[in-house]
Amino acid sequence: MRRSASLLLTLSLLVAAATGAVAQSKEPVKIGLSAAVSGGSAASGEAIKRGLEIAIGEINAKGGVLGGRPLQLVVRDDEGQPAKGVTIARELVEREKVAAVFGGLHTPVALAQVAVWHELKTPYMGAWAAGTNITRNGQSPNYVFRVSANDDDADKFLTRYATEVLRKGKPGLLLENTSWGQSNEAGLTKWLGEKGIRAVGIEKFNWGDPDMSPQLLRLKNAGADHVVLVANAPEGAQVVKSRAKIGWEIPMVSHWGISGGRFAELTGELSDGVAFLQTYSFFGKQNERGEQVLKALKEKYGVKGPEDVIAPVGTANAYDGLHLVALAIEQAGSTDGAKVRDALEGLKAEYKGLIKTYRRPFTAEQHDALTDADYIMVVWRAGKIVPLAAK
Amino acid sequence: MGRAGWATVAVAALLLPLSTSNTYYLYLACSVGLLTIVAAGLNVLAGFAGQISLGHAGFYALGAYGAGLAATRLGWPLWAAVPAGMVLAAIVGAAVGAAALRVSGPYLAMVTIAFGIIVEHVLVEWVSLTGGPGGIFNIPKLTVGGSYWPIAGCAAAALWLTANLRASAWGRALLAVKSSEVAAESLGISAYLARTTAFTISAALAGLAGGLFALLNGYISPDSFTLQASILFLLALLFGGLGSVAGPLVGGAALTLLPELLTGLADYRLILYGSLLMVSIYGLPAGVVGAVGARGRRSAPDTGLPLPALSPEGRGVETAGEVLLGVEGLGVSFGGVVALADVTLTVPARGITAVIGPNGAGKTTLINLITGYYRPGAGEIRLAGEPIAGRAPHAVARLGVARTFQTAQPFDDLSVVENVMVGVAGARLGALGGALLHGPGTRRRERALRARALQLLAVLGLAARAEEPAASLPAGLRRWLEIARALATEPRLLLLDEPAAGLSPTEIAELDARLTALRSQGGPAIVLVEHHMELVMAISDRISVLDYGRVIAAGAPATVRESPAVIEAYLGLPA
Amino acid sequence: MLVQLLVTGLALGSMYGLVALGYHITWATSRTMNFSQGHAVMVGAVIAWALVVALGWPLPIGLLATLLALAVFGALIERVAVRPFFRASSPAWLLSTIACGIIAENVAQLLFGKDARAFPSALTQRPILVGGAGFYPQELLIPVVGLGLMALVQLFYHRTRYGRQLKAVAWNAEAAGLMGINVPRAVMASYALSALLAGVAGVLLAPLLNVAPTMGTIIGLKAFAVAIIGGLTSAPGIVLAGLGYGLLEAVVAGYVSTGAREIVGFALVILVLMVRPWGLLGAPPARRV
Repeated sequence: MRRSASLLLTLSLLVAAATGAVAQSKEPVKIGLSAAVSGGSAASGEAIKRGLEIAIGEINAKGGVLGGRPLQLVVRDDEGQPAKGVTIARELVEREKVAAVFGGLHTPVALAQVAVWHELKTPYMGAWAAGTNITRNGQSPNYVFRVSANDDDADKFLTRYATEVLRKGKPGLLLENTSWGQSNEAGLTKWLGEKGIRAVGIEKFNWGDPDMSPQLLRLKNAGADHVVLVANAPEGAQVVKSRAKIGWEIPMVSHWGISGGRFAELTGELSDGVAFLQTYSFFGKQNERGEQVLKALKEKYGVKGPEDVIAPVGTANAYDGLHLVALAIEQAGSTDGAKVRDALEGLKAEYKGLIKTYRRPFTAEQHDALTDADYIMVVWRAGKIVPLAAK
Repeated sequence: MGRAGWATVAVAALLLPLSTSNTYYLYLACSVGLLTIVAAGLNVLAGFAGQISLGHAGFYALGAYGAGLAATRLGWPLWAAVPAGMVLAAIVGAAVGAAALRVSGPYLAMVTIAFGIIVEHVLVEWVSLTGGPGGIFNIPKLTVGGSYWPIAGCAAAALWLTANLRASAWGRALLAVKSSEVAAESLGISAYLARTTAFTISAALAGLAGGLFALLNGYISPDSFTLQASILFLLALLFGGLGSVAGPLVGGAALTLLPELLTGLADYRLILYGSLLMVSIYGLPAGVVGAVGARGRRSAPDTGLPLPALSPEGRGVETAGEVLLGVEGLGVSFGGVVALADVTLTVPARGITAVIGPNGAGKTTLINLITGYYRPGAGEIRLAGEPIAGRAPHAVARLGVARTFQTAQPFDDLSVVENVMVGVAGARLGALGGALLHGPGTRRRERALRARALQLLAVLGLAARAEEPAASLPAGLRRWLEIARALATEPRLLLLDEPAAGLSPTEIAELDARLTALRSQGGPAIVLVEHHMELVMAISDRISVLDYGRVIAAGAPATVRESPAVIEAYLGLPA
Repeated sequence: MLVQLLVTGLALGSMYGLVALGYHITWATSRTMNFSQGHAVMVGAVIAWALVVALGWPLPIGLLATLLALAVFGALIERVAVRPFFRASSPAWLLSTIACGIIAENVAQLLFGKDARAFPSALTQRPILVGGAGFYPQELLIPVVGLGLMALVQLFYHRTRYGRQLKAVAWNAEAAGLMGINVPRAVMASYALSALLAGVAGVLLAPLLNVAPTMGTIIGLKAFAVAIIGGLTSAPGIVLAGLGYGLLEAVVAGYVSTGAREIVGFALVILVLMVRPWGLLGAPPARRV
């Protein structure tokens, strides 16, 4: 009686394991996205989603991860609200059981979510929000990674360009009145200070403001010889138009916000010569991955050409980020959050990506895959983005 | 919601954290709790007092930042920081309420919107204090499971407080002001004070929720405190059921959980949100709770205990012949039209004085002047020698003057007996703390108020309908209710504005009998403004006749009836 | 800089006044208002953009079609969100009109897209430079058109028969009805007119502000503040309040900071109401006793 019982037990356990394994091999690996899909910044969420979907499509076409498991994207709208972001974070991990989560444009949402990733031990890959403290959050082990600009590095890059390439020494700062602007105010002040320079003026504007002439006039009166701009496309467009309105021909160096959102359409030729930072540009000669991604954008989303790509940095960052996460999952051999995190920090495989070739992109001290060495400076010319030779 | 319903909710709330460690569900439960607390506060303001605020995100923010700053900058422990946030919100709420509640309707809505927006922008601009757009980090926090208990406890407390408030004199006063501000004032209630109190309570609860929000998340930024949030708070209350105790909980749960069930439809979020708002307003005017039919308001049983006296502030017992009300040379104009001119009238402390006259003669205007609703342009009004012209209606009422209205104005949101209880209590609402906590003193008062109210209803033949909503009374009975309510204030002077209008002959005979009884049993002096000549002639001791705002005759009924001026005024023919 | 601020301030202020006049018109007729007036501004800009920029219609025809569409939009709001609550003393119309605005914004986002788009205009190509500051001809055109329209509306109300009928409805709807005035139709007309004015503001502002589904909310809020400051019952009060508010905003933004602008503007609303609870030139509502 005992023997047959234990035989039965063993058999059923084997069957269960087998069916479990079989079920496992088809069960998708879920990847979460928490971004603004509605509201004023919805274009950014859409762009990130596209980058993720294209990368996932490529990986699944080659058989997925962990021996045949397809990747599946789960999208949630955080509405740019930190509290909503926290709810989504918990839902994605506890209910959807995602292996990793990608983030969106809003720095405050990302900041609010940092505690959750560490509590629930799930890795997070930022694809846009550039707030310095997102990755430099003082946690160890650190679950927050990013393939995107980092404000501190971006400010170093912009400052270097202004002082070494443009050879200007009297910057006027014009920043949006948000935590992104705040983060850059700190960064710019720091890096200018390293060069012994103080900004002649620091001006702010709000989202939706139609006219920045008063701020520009104040910077002009303070003697600025160039303007450093931190703005998203609609406000950036108004800044450029205000600059023309008051007839002030002053060089402008900008953070990346003005690349998407129909900036060219909104400003016409007024934006010619405005230099800004990008992690990647779909204009000009593309590498192999670039061609691939552009083709996928055309086929899947009806994009007609580089000038039609909405919010390109989101797509590029998310694309590379996802490939890196997939490689980490493979290296970890499981979807366990702590293991994937460790794999990301010690990624062995080399990844020839869209933005660059990644070799050991993350270390315990560095959770930003891109630094100022990877950024490029580009400029608007006749509605097209043209890379500038000097960095 | 009946006892069984509340018991089920309580059990579920207790079991939830014990049965799951899924932090997503626990976080959602905490979010439901926070929204319930804010909505409960708004219920006091909008549901009880009838004022709409679109700026309560500002108080939520004050609570959150107050608690956050106390915990991070001052190093206070959480059990001190959260109440600090609540106190801050309450203080600012009292100030804003006092300033804002002199206006109503869209003007009030704008003030609250402006307040909310100002708070939001100050949070962004005052970087040194609030951390600017980046907000405040590293607020010491509990785990999600740990936060659940204080939040659930506070939510339960908030609902309990609102239930207690509803069953107290304060709560009835608020609903009275909401139903009919003029009638409430005529009973001695200061509408301004009532509303400001409601506003302060709602601000305090929003602040409490804000502090708990900071404790739950450990990070706060201005993005969480926008106009959208204020609209969400109001929507939760509306959807759940404005004015009902369970409404905030139902609405809070619905508006937290529904978006989670519809996550696939993110692109249509605003359409769904707007449609939900429309549906609540259109189809569920009493919210989900009202639609489900939960109307159970438990009536306190009449325990038959001896009635403790309510100590009417010694009004003084005037002797019969004394002049109680003296009006001299009273005049008022509205936009150039003279409504009353040189009106002189005396009313003795006992008896029935009638004021008659054709339509438009100024009879109601006279009552409104005496009771403080209008200011006279000329002349004097003295009550027992004291000048009262120009005082606010609730102040005049507190001196012992009661009135009824041409169109009866019962408090539709209250039951019949509750209407009269408002009159019994008048301006003496008792301690607010007692009302909120339903202490033994409050409970005793409630029994006494109810017993006296039932007595009055019995005298006027309304006892059988005591628990019915006042709105369901037929027109004739509404007038009796109003009279009962006015008598409940134990006035020295009762002004009745056309009480016989629209009554059947039987009902008029009843009115005749009751007024006569009041006179003979030592009731208040009565001023009867009437059209119905038979009634007037039958019961009045003295009559004054008004025509085009002037007194054209005054004296005993027989004299007035024969007066040529009166006949001409009424019939238009020379006698 | 002062010249620039004055021009910008007058331009924006006259638009606030125009939109605020819409609040006044419906309030004066029915003691209700369209709390999503700001979204009507957006609808005007979006429809004009769709017809003139995207589809290439000639400007006059596109404008006319836009105005017609706006009148329909206003009438629709009245029918759906206001009329059911017209007689009830509940402020339900306040929240139902907000709801309509929210829905309109989402619909616009689905149809128009999430990006801001440009509305090219000949009057925003070359700035006029005056002593170190500059403004566009459009910014000069706006107050002229705005004030002109407001004057026309006043004339309509005081001089034409239909306008006086609308005023009669405000005074006493029952009596007006008994006199043969079609009250529901009058209320609907007031909503149509009010949406139309908002739409004109949207079209005038589109070249300056760019067209986006979210462009209307803050304008609607500030126009409401202007209507309250001026007094909901007083058209001249509103016009003056609008210009004043626009100038104040420009000056504060110019000499202090943009952050202070919103705070000062909305604090002004509260201050004015504390001193004059019914607006600068408004009248308190009659309390029926």
